[in-house]
Amino acid sequence: MKPVLLWSDAMFFLLLAFCLAGIWWARRSPQLAAAWRQVGMSRTGVAAAAVLSFFVLVALLDSFHYRERLPQQPGESVQYGVEVLSALDALLAQQKTRTEKTYSAPLATHLFAKESRADGQGRDFPRLKFGGIHLDDAGERDADVLQRGLIGLAGGGVLWLALFVVVRQWFRPRASWFAWDALLWAVGAMLLIGGVLLALMPHYHVLGTDKVGQDVLYLTLKSIRTALLIGTLTTLSMLPAALLLGIVAGYKGGWIDDVIQYIYTVLNSIPGVLLIAASILMMQVVIDTHPEWFSTAAERADARLLSLCVIMGVTSWTGLCRLLRAETLKLRELEFVQAAQAFGVSSWAIMARHILPNVMHIVMISVVMDFSGLVLAEAVLSYVGIGVDPTTISFGTMINMARMELAREPMVWWSLIAAFCFMFVLVLAANLFADAVRDAFDPRGRAA
Amino acid sequence: MVASVDPHAALLTVAGLTVQIGAGRPVDEVSFKIMPGETFALLGESGCGKSMTALAVMRLLPPAARLASGSVSYAPSAGAQSLLDLTEAEMRRVRGGGIGMIFQEPATSLNPVMTIGRQIAEVLDLHLGLSGDAARKRAHELLDTVGIPEAARRLDEYPFQLSGGLKQRAMIAMALAGEPELLIADEPTTALDVTLQAQVLDLLKQLQRERGMGMLLITHDLGVVERMADHVGVMYAGQLVEVAPREQFFGNPAHPYSRKLFAALPERAAAGQRLSTIPGMVPPLDAQPAACRFAPRCSLAFAECSTLAPAWHVQAGGQAVRCHLFDPLRSSAPVVAEVSPPVAAVERAGGDTLLQVRDLKVHFPIRKGLLQRTVAHVAAVDGVSFDLQAGRTLALVGESGCGKTTVGKAILQLIQPTAGSVKLAGKELTGLSGNALQPLRAQAQMVFQDPFGSLNPRMRVGTIIAEGMYALGLRENVRERIAELLEQVGLRADMATRYPHEFSGGQRQRIAIARALAVNPKLIVCDEPTSALDVSVQAQIINLLHDLQQQLGLSYLFITHNMAVVDYLADEVAVMYQGRIVEMGSADTVLGHPQHEYTQTLLAAAFTRMRGAA
Amino acid sequence: MLTYLIRRFLYAIPILIGVNLITFALFFVVNTPDDMARMQLGAKRVTPEAIEKWKVERGYDKPLLWNAEAAGMAKATDTIFFDKSLSMFAFEFGRSEDGRDIMGEIKSRMGPSLAIAIPVFILGLWAAVTFALLLVFFRGSYLDFGGVVLCVAMMSISSLFYIIGGQWLVSKVWHLVPISGLGEGLDAARFLILPVIISVIGGLGGAARWYRTIFLEESNRDYVRTARAKGLSELAVLFRHVLKNAMIPILTGVVVVIPSLFLGSLLIESFFSIPGLGSYTIDAINAQDFAVVRAMVFIGSVLYIVGLWLTDISYTLVDPRIRLK
Repeated sequence: MKPVLLWSDAMFFLLLAFCLAGIWWARRSPQLAAAWRQVGMSRTGVAAAAVLSFFVLVALLDSFHYRERLPQQPGESVQYGVEVLSALDALLAQQKTRTEKTYSAPLATHLFAKESRADGQGRDFPRLKFGGIHLDDAGERDADVLQRGLIGLAGGGVLWLALFVVVRQWFRPRASWFAWDALLWAVGAMLLIGGVLLALMPHYHVLGTDKVGQDVLYLTLKSIRTALLIGTLTTLSMLPAALLLGIVAGYKGGWIDDVIQYIYTVLNSIPGVLLIAASILMMQVVIDTHPEWFSTAAERADARLLSLCVIMGVTSWTGLCRLLRAETLKLRELEFVQAAQAFGVSSWAIMARHILPNVMHIVMISVVMDFSGLVLAEAVLSYVGIGVDPTTISFGTMINMARMELAREPMVWWSLIAAFCFMFVLVLAANLFADAVRDAFDPRGRAA
Repeated sequence: MVASVDPHAALLTVAGLTVQIGAGRPVDEVSFKIMPGETFALLGESGCGKSMTALAVMRLLPPAARLASGSVSYAPSAGAQSLLDLTEAEMRRVRGGGIGMIFQEPATSLNPVMTIGRQIAEVLDLHLGLSGDAARKRAHELLDTVGIPEAARRLDEYPFQLSGGLKQRAMIAMALAGEPELLIADEPTTALDVTLQAQVLDLLKQLQRERGMGMLLITHDLGVVERMADHVGVMYAGQLVEVAPREQFFGNPAHPYSRKLFAALPERAAAGQRLSTIPGMVPPLDAQPAACRFAPRCSLAFAECSTLAPAWHVQAGGQAVRCHLFDPLRSSAPVVAEVSPPVAAVERAGGDTLLQVRDLKVHFPIRKGLLQRTVAHVAAVDGVSFDLQAGRTLALVGESGCGKTTVGKAILQLIQPTAGSVKLAGKELTGLSGNALQPLRAQAQMVFQDPFGSLNPRMRVGTIIAEGMYALGLRENVRERIAELLEQVGLRADMATRYPHEFSGGQRQRIAIARALAVNPKLIVCDEPTSALDVSVQAQIINLLHDLQQQLGLSYLFITHNMAVVDYLADEVAVMYQGRIVEMGSADTVLGHPQHEYTQTLLAAAFTRMRGAA
Repeated sequence: MLTYLIRRFLYAIPILIGVNLITFALFFVVNTPDDMARMQLGAKRVTPEAIEKWKVERGYDKPLLWNAEAAGMAKATDTIFFDKSLSMFAFEFGRSEDGRDIMGEIKSRMGPSLAIAIPVFILGLWAAVTFALLLVFFRGSYLDFGGVVLCVAMMSISSLFYIIGGQWLVSKVWHLVPISGLGEGLDAARFLILPVIISVIGGLGGAARWYRTIFLEESNRDYVRTARAKGLSELAVLFRHVLKNAMIPILTGVVVVIPSLFLGSLLIESFFSIPGLGSYTIDAINAQDFAVVRAMVFIGSVLYIVGLWLTDISYTLVDPRIRLK
């Protein structure tokens, strides 16, 4: 086994490190701590954060990449497989490898389409290669599913009860302000659903299979990482530029301000989709003409993913930059800035010490508010063909494929529904969390 | 309580009015009466519940606040109504019709995208059924009544086209449009310059006389009360603590809080004597003392005050006080008025000239046209010259927009002067670049007006104070120096690790002073350092500035619009008007024998209301 | 006032030059004329002469940005960038890869795009403002709370699902309207109803919630308290005072998109096979037709700048503080 660190993995770990550093920093600053405390008091905020942390966990597992060591022939040097796998792939090895021939409905035991029978006697729905093979008689399926589902439910319930007791006895008395009940509800719901899924997964394709027989649940879980990366790295990639230019434009004014305003008006005036389309097409040309840069297909897809993040960042940083400039204009006139000027503190020190900490709440709010929009945008862009690499598993590519299937008669609905549900839960949680964060950090929001 | 008046004749009777926000009570059992044609003034510092009382009467409380109990009876000529029992539709006929209301901030209280005429016509339509030409004619008359010149033109103008004083007049016209019998005026002059204040108050008084209106006047300004009120109610922390006819109140304020309010006024103290202060601050909503609310700050408090809520005690002349000291059953000696200890009057000898300003000009460009060329300049400061001796105080007086703050900032080179010279201890400051200016920065510092804007909310107090020391290279014993400075301005050394939001306005201003002192300046430019503070806190800060000057031999350039503070603190006075100094001289000469017409107006407006009461 | 508008209009020129520089950099620096020629001529029969010939035929034989060999002004003008930008400013976009005149194509596709975009814009604005006003009128009640939850839920659904779901539900299950395409004349309305409704619903959640925030912020202001103290009813306060003031921030976001309506909607047009500019763009992206994409980028920027300009004008109509300054 040979670990592989893709660029996006590195960025993702870096991002998590930033978050941890941010938490440490917030603990030291009473305003930030108070604002986060307010998020912790908000029921929807806590529930949404719990759901989001499940998604983050999945994405994190999916970010430890490695290449498998191939069986070594005597006398040969060590060889590694071309496919880049992740820890999530290892956990879901069954789902990944047990592919059927083609479509099958959720929890099905038979294929979705009729095929000529092996004995040549007419056409029939053949049994699946993996889904429900432990059953001798496919008619027992309902009872089997029910039984396994109940066991899973019970397992989830027991875990929930344990958590409930721990929270009641240990956590709640120590931090009674925190919305523990909301946390329990959200985690409970996830445990119950997760319990049922885990109980059924070894024996069925819980959400069915797609055209080439891949497990839809596996695909959906793999999509999460792509969505999270797009949602976070995009804002992050242009954050330094937005911060620097926004603050400098607001603080310095004059021709510097004019130039910076000019830059972002120009970028703003190009329709975002077209700029992304043009850049991605060009990027693809670059990637295609330099195959020697990438040792695996995964790295190539990763390069496209990252460039998509950067390009989407370029089209979306202008909004943040403008907000920061406007806020800096206000702060510049405040008396504590003038007091610092009266001591002859340098402009850069004033920007770093007095302006930056006082605009961080805007950055915070805009990062969480943008997240859900970017996840949605990825789906649309991938659908149009200017999103992630077609081989990257994402909600967009899933929907793109599923759309064709709707036209089939009878309809293949499950991959679309699966993508819809996961995406809806992710984006809804992100939106609710963003609301809680904005309410806590935005001084204007209080009155509303 | 106020037993001397016939309850049937009262225009407005408020009884036991209580407003709750969460568990706190911003208005607690407030009762008073207003007779037709009479003015009742609610007096108190910010946060004591005056405005909330008025909003409760109008039933316009913000969503978070709740009317907990009490009754409001409104008895105009048409017949009495209990306001709290009316339906919302019936109440709407009272608002703007029976009871008109004027708010503090004319700049934000008028709809910015509606013409003055339309905003008045709205009331006329609603309450008098006037519309079209009739409404326009009436609106015209109303603007005439409140003394707005060129009323016909003003009807079609938007609020932003009117000056502050005219806006407030338009606001009054709007309140009068429904022909109310009761007018509620919430700090009607606080946002206005001192000369305008006098005009607006005169106007209100005259209108009230002509129309026989009752008026509920809400103010923090003793001068306004004296000029306007028939009866006075003093509020403290949500409760009325004293209700009295004006003469009794001004002749002999009874409640310890009322007396402290008077004593804290700089105009009451002789120069050189310490101002009497009230220690501490108004308790926040969630920490109101259970018994007497004022007890923790009262110098006359005794054991009972913090255990038993005082009852009302009516004195001679209808003066009612809520204080144990006036309990006839108490055998203790009657209260003796406190005399604040005189400060040893040190003659502030004029030293060498520390600051010399010659022909200072600050012009701001006006850009116009296609290419934004500078077509003209606004002369914010237009040739100002003065000298300031070491260890003395020069007050720069004027109304908002006269350029006094710009002078202060131009001296410290926070704004680049257009022309002129500024010499600090003999060294020219104008035209110096960043590094060359640095040594001089230590000699002149500034204290700003807004105690909430002048401290970075994300920095600890210690860091705030240390910033200037590091910037100017004073890196030794920083920690000890911060502790020393905090104690010097009356705070505790351990407060250095706290953040500004934990402090009250007065404490923040002390921190700002400590920050300025940290670099051992010789000159401090004080830009309205007390105008955002309540009277009792203002006195603390003025005392502090006074003491520091004695100890450290500082010079102050004191920028203010408050004549009373000038009278108390300044050695010399310079009066600014439209960018120029129109009169300058020793404080006694300028205040005692003003020569320039503008100085005379300014002084007349500021002092007429106080002289009689002294 | 007028000089202000003229100045804002002249400001467009440097911005368009900037846009051109960016698109130029994107298309030519990464993908040099040699690469283009190789791609166009096909990989097999590429000789240096053929590439050279191709470049001369299309005017790509000049330097990209700076012609050091030319004299005087020609140093800057005798370049690919200058030639291509100049034709852009003259709205001459040349031909697409399949040989059609791009400008002609754009003109004929504008109609269908507008037929969808205008109703969507008007109905969408109306629906969102009405919904937001309703929520503000009942603020603090369960109706308000439920409405906000609904808005957030609606925002969380990808527009792809609105389209797919709507198409499936209305056309396949209920058989009410045709699923895609565009008819002639009045018949077109039948085809347009579904895409319009879907677009309006898809945009409602986010817009209504945003407007609600603006209305709430506005209704906390001092002048609203004054209006209430006059005895105005809550409805009169909302419509006569709050709405008009709230229009100012709303205009910022709304007016700027009006000219861009010409570009149509990428998704709706491609899903419903409507021959508008949106589907034209998508087809061009899929066919990697750079000439069309570049033309659309330029037109998009021009329309955006027109939108900024219209925003300035609409401010002056709504806000007397700007009009009379």
